[in-house]
Amino acid sequence: QFSALTEVLFRFLTEPREVERFLTQLSDFATMNKISLGPLKSIVKSILLVPNGALKRNLSSEQVRADFIALGLSEEKASYFAEQWKVHSPTLTRLAVGQTLMINQLVDMEWKFGVTAGSSELEKVGSIFLQLKLVIKKGGQMENVYIELTLPQFYSFLHEMERVKTSLESFS
Amino acid sequence: MAAVREGELAALQSLLKAPSKDAVRQLCRECFSSPAAGLGPLAQRACPGLAASPEEAEQLVSALHSLTRHVVYRGLTRAEDILSLFPENFHQNLKNLLTKIILENLSSWRNEAQASQISLPRLVDMDWRVDIKTSSDSISRMAVPTCLLQLKIQEDVALCGNSPVVSALTVELSKETLDTMLEGLGRIRDQLSAVANK
Repeated sequence: QFSALTEVLFRFLTEPREVERFLTQLSDFATMNKISLGPLKSIVKSILLVPNGALKRNLSSEQVRADFIALGLSEEKASYFAEQWKVHSPTLTRLAVGQTLMINQLVDMEWKFGVTAGSSELEKVGSIFLQLKLVIKKGGQMENVYIELTLPQFYSFLHEMERVKTSLESFS
Repeated sequence: MAAVREGELAALQSLLKAPSKDAVRQLCRECFSSPAAGLGPLAQRACPGLAASPEEAEQLVSALHSLTRHVVYRGLTRAEDILSLFPENFHQNLKNLLTKIILENLSSWRNEAQASQISLPRLVDMDWRVDIKTSSDSISRMAVPTCLLQLKIQEDVALCGNSPVVSALTVELSKETLDTMLEGLGRIRDQLSAVANK
């Protein structure tokens, strides 16, 4: 019974957007075990505080278990929860890092390149242009930025980005 | 924009009054570089020395502007082509001088025309920095490297005239985003070399 509830909890923690599903599963659990939904919800809320706090403070599974025991949970249940925690913590940590503030995050990049055939000043041109569309997340909204690069600029941009990659890799 | 009318070029004969060949050269350059709307002040400066009246000055400046722009537009590179633009009884030496000046300046004028083409905002400069995120409100200890990229973008030159607006855009990229971006850039490079080799 406890393990079923734990499963539901962890599924929600690892996929925090699936709120609907979480609520449906909770009410299913309530009906199956003949508990009313209201008190179940408040219990679940308090239980959820523990993993969230643990994540913020980078607690090990040992410490999570100790916390639960201090809160009055039986040893068996606390150990089970701590085990589940150990299993899921990489995913949960990754999610927390993903939630960390990012300024103007680059979300997508589209490009096209072509040849300028002519213009109002020059009848025949024949020069290559590269156009990039960067999709940037500013606060909650997406913003599109369009830029044009010449060929030499493109090559030096590529070169710089490769240097960034080397730098990032040396720090991971 | 680039058509030259026969009658127009006759106005160029006012240049015979110019103090020196360099003065003519200078005026040619200024007339080419100035947009059609900016020829007024140029005409005023030419007036006392070269032209008897403001109308003559305006005609002179406008003719020079049309002539130089026309040559650059059509991409004429041979002296004969340029000489053939002048009317029949045009002063011989002046014709040769003007042709010579135009040919001298042709490639730099072509570059100038290309640089002032309409285009999407152009990348002018880029800088980057790698930071390591050590903690945040959602997780207290971590060591996640991230890249901050600053792009300096200049709005369309034609719209800004002489005071181009340069804006700086700072973008953050995670390692995954950078890898995907590099993949895309690599594909562009491959396609570019495929096109170049055809």
